[in-house]
Amino acid sequence: MIDLDEHLPAIATGDADAFARWLAGAEGRLRASLASFAAEVDVEAVLQESLLRVWNTAPRLVPDGRPNALVRFAVRVARNAAVSEWRRLAAGRVVPEVALGGGEPGDPGDPAAAERALEAGPADPWLRERIRRCHGELGGSPARALGARLGSGGLEHDRELAAGVGMTLNTFLQNVARARKLLAACLERAGVRLAEVWS
Amino acid sequence: MTADDQSRLVAEVTSAHRARDPGGRVCAHPAWHDLDVDGRREAFAATRELRTLEAALDPEGLTTTARAVLARIRGAAR
Repeated sequence: MIDLDEHLPAIATGDADAFARWLAGAEGRLRASLASFAAEVDVEAVLQESLLRVWNTAPRLVPDGRPNALVRFAVRVARNAAVSEWRRLAAGRVVPEVALGGGEPGDPGDPAAAERALEAGPADPWLRERIRRCHGELGGSPARALGARLGSGGLEHDRELAAGVGMTLNTFLQNVARARKLLAACLERAGVRLAEVWS
Repeated sequence: MTADDQSRLVAEVTSAHRARDPGGRVCAHPAWHDLDVDGRREAFAATRELRTLEAALDPEGLTTTARAVLARIRGAAR
């Protein structure tokens, strides 16, 4: 198992590059841990908010001696943030405990799944190469739309990205969706089901 | 809602761009609120696929989610 806690001492001193390396290994696991909330909260927003909280609180984390203490802590932070957001959106309606995914709040979930997430995914050189090869075959408007998304790093609204590549917003969104589907189809031909890959 | 409307909303939600409220909290994408339960689950799955692709295509293995968070971190003192 990869122990991402190797980055923890540097993260605790405020090293954002170390946090980036930790993120590269941990994000997929954290997103997967929020899957049961997907119908109730915007997981992307909850995940980003949780990661900012993890960054701010990491210096106070005392590792328990088991691997991936920061990932397990982040899973708890993300879960609590999702529950809070769900309750806020429910605006007084009762949020059924049974619907919160089972186990105690903060339960890091299935350890086997966590381990798999930390060992598989795009860090796998074979898979990365496959994805890059398929991406190289992507052309035209889908490639330009996806490239704009990648280049912006989440900092610009799609409306601005669409204008930058000379598309209407609607066309831009269609091309982002087409790019994903074309890449998924290309990977499927290589025997990879994108929906089953843990990032 | 037509299937095209739903597809458009799903594609919007897959963006890592999120607005902040006046207190700095990351807000849900406006399009997410317009999706029904199936659409929200579809958006989650589509986002996960896109982030997998992004990480593989990024030289540092970072997704647009990670890039957005890191930009925020680097722009503000802890």
